[in-house]
Amino acid sequence: MMAAAPQPAPGQRLPPPRSQVGISGWMRENLFSTRYNALLTVISAAIIVLALVYGLRWVIAGADWSVIAVLGGQLVIGQYNTEGACPGQNCFWRPQVALMLVSALFGMAWGMGGGEVAKRIGIGVVVLLALFAFLPYSFERMGMDVRLLLAANIPALLAGWAVARYVGMTMRGMVIYIAAAFIVTVILLRGLPGIPGLQPVLVIYWGGLTLNLLLAVVGIGASLPIGIALALGRRSNLPLVKLLCVVFIEVFRGVPLITLLFMSQVLVPLAFPEDFNTNSLLRAGIVITLFSSAYMAENIRGGLQALHPGQAEAARALGLPGWQTTLLISLPQAIRNVIPAIVGQFIALFKDTSLVYIIGMLDVVEFSRAFIQGNTEYLSSAKEVFIFLALVFWIFTYTMSYVSGKVEEHLGVGQR
Amino acid sequence: MIEEQPNGSSGEPIIVCRDVHKWFGSFHVLRGVTTSVDRGDKVVVVGPSGSGKSTFIRTINRLEEHQQGDIIVDGVPMTQDVRNIDAIRREVGMVFQQFNLFPHLSVMQNVTLAPMKVRKWKRSEAEDAAMGLLERVGIPEQAAKYPAELSGGQQQRVAIARALAMQPKIMLFDEPTSALDPEMIREVLDVMRELAESGMTMIIVTHEIGFATEVADRILMFDEGVIIEDAPPREFFNNPQQERTQTFLSQILA
Repeated sequence: MMAAAPQPAPGQRLPPPRSQVGISGWMRENLFSTRYNALLTVISAAIIVLALVYGLRWVIAGADWSVIAVLGGQLVIGQYNTEGACPGQNCFWRPQVALMLVSALFGMAWGMGGGEVAKRIGIGVVVLLALFAFLPYSFERMGMDVRLLLAANIPALLAGWAVARYVGMTMRGMVIYIAAAFIVTVILLRGLPGIPGLQPVLVIYWGGLTLNLLLAVVGIGASLPIGIALALGRRSNLPLVKLLCVVFIEVFRGVPLITLLFMSQVLVPLAFPEDFNTNSLLRAGIVITLFSSAYMAENIRGGLQALHPGQAEAARALGLPGWQTTLLISLPQAIRNVIPAIVGQFIALFKDTSLVYIIGMLDVVEFSRAFIQGNTEYLSSAKEVFIFLALVFWIFTYTMSYVSGKVEEHLGVGQR
Repeated sequence: MIEEQPNGSSGEPIIVCRDVHKWFGSFHVLRGVTTSVDRGDKVVVVGPSGSGKSTFIRTINRLEEHQQGDIIVDGVPMTQDVRNIDAIRREVGMVFQQFNLFPHLSVMQNVTLAPMKVRKWKRSEAEDAAMGLLERVGIPEQAAKYPAELSGGQQQRVAIARALAMQPKIMLFDEPTSALDPEMIREVLDVMRELAESGMTMIIVTHEIGFATEVADRILMFDEGVIIEDAPPREFFNNPQQERTQTFLSQILA
């Protein structure tokens, strides 16, 4: 007969067994719990070490990054400052000021107490800008103008921070600033006829990362409200409203974006008066927005469908009218439930902006490809260029993903 | 002149239902409900599941639309007119089995939302009133928390405070304790008892027979979409007239 194990005294809490705690406990539990898991751990570790060693060796010693310095500011603005776009003038400052407006926005978010997230992003942007601005390349390779472009964003960001911290900034102020900054950006890039220094620059010369960001900002800013409207319309009791929304969503979701972009060149002008000046950038922006709205609508509809009907009933029983029930009760909960899907859609949209190359626009990827093709001495540097571009896209998309994760955490998704 | 009756009932009808019919698709769920509730009355509704008792009280604030017959609440006829529906909903509070608190809003925001948006009260006014109500239901210290941080009993008490914040003339309770653990049922019933003593007109769907006996002026027995018995609690429990009521009581009291 076995001796009875001693019973814990009432209220006594025993510590967990040794095998569960400490580094050795963690390793036994997570890395080497069985013979097969131990084998998988060793193989995975070997792959990670090899990839790191060979990857870093190539990045530091093998690769020739000088091509990035040569491309320099053109990655950001494309052909904008060339003789064809801006004859007889230096137009470099115009996209530069636009970028500084964006940097100031980051600073404001940080300064108005956006929390740890805004602070980390603010510091991250400063560090990245400083890193590229003060890279130890010779001036011939990476011109002074590019270094200034990057470095000037640091004081812009800090100015935004100072304004928000010491003058004060509200959410409403931010929204007004974003709208104003967008309008100023478009005016700066387009130019104003008759104003010296602001001579018009045709949109066919707009390019580089500026183009990607512009399309992404427009697409993200417009597809969310349009998507919400479509989702609500699809759930409407009015058969014709519902039909309209269903047809819109299914058509735009069912056709490849590339097809839509081709069609935009032909079809969008039909929807506007003949003398309405639509340019290829506007057409691309409209198509990307509508395409993304269709997906957004389905994401939001999923969030609405997951809500318990009791929520809307409780709101109606309190006397809230239908539109307030939707706006204050249903939508906030629905959107919170589908933040990961919405941000996934934003990320996809941002990456898809590169597809505008097929209607002849030189976004950052197409510009780089054309540059390599046109400058055969850099043909062997194609891998450095595209790895760098991958890194640039990744920095933006990872930031979005990081912010969305933090927002979810803040709103307590899955806990409440 | 209206003569006050001892239990707070005024003899003046605040809810009148005449031959109310309702179908879910082709299923005839309410088959001619006729009754009236006097101002200050406490009416408990019982009946087997599927008898239409929940559907009936949900027609009183138009969470369910009735297709035939008349419902008049506080002098306002229930019609398709949205203004009438909104006017009635402002005067009728409702407490649900599943609480239905708004999970994305704090307890305080849950309680102040409707007074601010519907009654257009200032935030400070609404918050003062809400604090008073949270004290009345015994949980002023939970005001800043979110619903998920509260126990079921606390959530249901917040739901009662939320409904009372609109200063309704009538309160509907749809099985308010059915989703609660036994030890939490009491705290909710205590709040409802206090509310009954304050003279509120209440219609309560419940299986809490002790509570019904103590608080109700009348008990309505629903079966297959009609009221088959309508009597004061003592009579209802001691001397039910209908055989169906007798079998129902023997089942729930067993």
